[in-house]
Amino acid sequence: MKTEAEIAIAAAPATSALSVENVSFTYHDSERAALRRVSFTLAPGEMIGVMGASGAGKSTLAKCLNRIVPEFEGGEFSGAIFICGDAVANLRVAEIAPRVGMVFQDFEAQLFSTNVAHEVAFAMEQIGMERAAMAARIAPALEAVGLDGFEARDPTSLSGGEKQRCAIASVLALSPSIIVLDEPTTDLDPEGKAEVFALIRRLRQRGLGLIVIEHESEELRTADRIIVLREGTIVADARPTEVFTQFDLLNESGVRPPGLNHVLNLLGINTHAESVEHAYAEIVGAFPRLKRLGESARAQAIKPAKPSETEAPLIKVEEVSFNYPNGPRVLESIDLSIAPGEFLAIVGQNGSGKSTLAKLIVGLLQPIEGRVLLNGRDRASMTETETAPQAAYVFQNPDHQIFSATVADEVAFGPRNFNLAADEVERRSDEVLAAVGLRDARESDPFLLSKGERQRLAVASVLALHPRLLILDEPTTGLDHREQLRMMALVTELNRTGTAIVIISHTPWLVAEYARRVVLMRRGRKLFDGEVREFFASDALLRGSSFVPPEATQLSRRFGALALSPAELAAWLQERL
Amino acid sequence: MPIYRYIEGQSFFHRVHPAVKVFALFIMFWSVYWVDNPLALMPLGILMLIAARLTGAWPNFYRLRWFFAILVATTTIMWLFFYQRGTPLFTIPLFYLDEHSITMPLGRHTHTISFGGHTVALSVTGLSIIFGVGRGLKLAELLAASVLFLSTTKVEEFTVGLSRLRVPYRFGFAISLAFRLAALFGDSAATIVDAQRLRGYNFNEGGPFERMRRYVPVAVPVFMGALRKANNMAMALEARGFGNRVEPTTFIDYPVRASDRLAFAGLILLGAFHFMLYYTGLGAIGPATHRPASKVPAKAVARSDESASAPIYQSSFRLP
Repeated sequence: MKTEAEIAIAAAPATSALSVENVSFTYHDSERAALRRVSFTLAPGEMIGVMGASGAGKSTLAKCLNRIVPEFEGGEFSGAIFICGDAVANLRVAEIAPRVGMVFQDFEAQLFSTNVAHEVAFAMEQIGMERAAMAARIAPALEAVGLDGFEARDPTSLSGGEKQRCAIASVLALSPSIIVLDEPTTDLDPEGKAEVFALIRRLRQRGLGLIVIEHESEELRTADRIIVLREGTIVADARPTEVFTQFDLLNESGVRPPGLNHVLNLLGINTHAESVEHAYAEIVGAFPRLKRLGESARAQAIKPAKPSETEAPLIKVEEVSFNYPNGPRVLESIDLSIAPGEFLAIVGQNGSGKSTLAKLIVGLLQPIEGRVLLNGRDRASMTETETAPQAAYVFQNPDHQIFSATVADEVAFGPRNFNLAADEVERRSDEVLAAVGLRDARESDPFLLSKGERQRLAVASVLALHPRLLILDEPTTGLDHREQLRMMALVTELNRTGTAIVIISHTPWLVAEYARRVVLMRRGRKLFDGEVREFFASDALLRGSSFVPPEATQLSRRFGALALSPAELAAWLQERL
Repeated sequence: MPIYRYIEGQSFFHRVHPAVKVFALFIMFWSVYWVDNPLALMPLGILMLIAARLTGAWPNFYRLRWFFAILVATTTIMWLFFYQRGTPLFTIPLFYLDEHSITMPLGRHTHTISFGGHTVALSVTGLSIIFGVGRGLKLAELLAASVLFLSTTKVEEFTVGLSRLRVPYRFGFAISLAFRLAALFGDSAATIVDAQRLRGYNFNEGGPFERMRRYVPVAVPVFMGALRKANNMAMALEARGFGNRVEPTTFIDYPVRASDRLAFAGLILLGAFHFMLYYTGLGAIGPATHRPASKVPAKAVARSDESASAPIYQSSFRLP
């Protein structure tokens, strides 16, 4: 194999903004190659979407482009990378910064200054720009990301979407020819996601080369090309039309296909859908009989069975209001009751009071007014030993609770705190580790598990307390599609065996496909509490919550129905062929 | 609680050159160092309180009011025990010490030591009160100087100030970054405490040492999170050109104005004034016996002073 330097001498085609040639990389602490002979080019102004399961090498590839790999995270590197025809070998990360802008998932860790204007100036200071030149670039950079007028704001006071846009502005100010975005929206709420994707579209119009790593295939539909990585190898590099119709390939690579394509595929139509209208046209084109369905405008909602509310509620929240000392009201007179075995989703924008409500239910916060009843008893009068088995809470980030040296110890921590006998602790650990599929990892170090495994471990560690209600805050954030499905299969199984489930989620398809009841929060008030189909049928509610229905649902409404998943819609349509 | 509490403002303190601000912090520490007498500490304390009002940093002081009070009170009480000089004003009986005897079996030289059988009391002297209050004030003023500095100085200015005082850029930046990180860790620590509480963990069990040990389930996730966050930050920094071969420029121009020079001179005078307080003995504790001006360093003076006076511990517990 040629050395990096030798390959660098061979000139790359100068027409490409970026050219990656035969890049392989193995991390120092790993035996498996993270990237294997990866080659592709990015034309000027082109947008490439990079997809793949966790560990497929997406982030490693991104880091190669500005030499964080192998400069910062060391290992065995071979191959060559050219930016506008120049080899980047032997350059430092900091020297590539003005040419390749990098935006990371963790927006908190990308902000270093006390005001937005400074933040944008920061990167320019580092490359030693003159003061006048910096001043001239700040305003356009902020305008490009829609943060003009925010110059004097403290970045820590911005919303997630604004923070991420601020981070993009600061790399934009260096006027790079390429911007690489590594899962820029994973930790954002729907509004933030929409803001960032709208910004990505604008950047594209400005002629910037873009490489976007993203799990949500719907957002990459308009990309020029999609690259799918599997175990460090490129298994597809083609236009979205060609990639998003190869269902076997997507499945094997752990990539969730766009909802519209999924419906078409289930109906045996092998075309790529550009939009809801396009998908509709394809379907009625193939099955003209279905055309009449859409014309009978009355929604023939697929009627659900109404959940029985005869059982005594497990949790009853009565007229609860809450605010932090000297703070504004966070919750205003909330009533909520959760019956045993329910599957409920709490949705709403950030700051709408979702998490506060959950924290009141589990007792991390005490209501200022009103009361919370567990099994008919006021929780204020109960001890923690009595309340813990009732309701458990899994935090969004599993790393906020994992601390033990082994998986088994982590799970045993809760039961031990309640002074359960050693054999009972042992029995429960076995039981819950089997339930979450981590029995073989008993003696492993939790910090070496994958994100999906750590998330399941966090669930296991509260399940060991045998709660009757399990609250999960964003249980699938940061997981790839395969891990998401696995996580939700676990949650569904728990629900089937009698545990009531509450998920706090921003992910529309997750809510649509799994929850049976939806509670919509807005500015501390409960705006809606009802059946999931009712929620997705109401335009007013959806608009008010900035919740975009899953594509299959949007398409189903075109046919005058209301389906919650691609499978449901496809089945419904097939019945009517 | 966020550690870094910059309060936006237009006061002279806000606008003065960052290097002067860093120097001012140094001068305040310097001044406090040389002076022990509460009365001599007063001018600086009053100066800082006025500054707190003028700069709008008052909310930060108000937020920490109990902390200031506890700091002064506990320090004063502590020194009542350890600083025993002068004539006792009164004694406070503390507890009754039972009589104990220890026999040392040394053959022919075997003998028995007996102690106790009396009430142990604390005798409070005028000097010990003054000394204690002085120590308390000193700590409070060090804290006040820091609060004042942090309330009126942006992170960026901290870095600039340090680099103008010839501290390497990377070092200055690291210090200012530490403040940001600390705030992030504070947030995650709060979440982690919640998570472990929900798993039935009780943080308030056992004595002080047991309690400290009980924070392991919080410390580990905070530490691991810190490592991850620091790694992310380091990558983001490099991706923004940090560590480039060129010398970084600064976006904000900090021209040195006449008022900055004036402030600098004023600070030197302030520092000199406090050194004079020490040098003339006016800043020291005790009756106004002027200390001989000596070139012996402060520490040495203090030590020779102690050895000359009555032993500290033996005299502290008096038999009634």
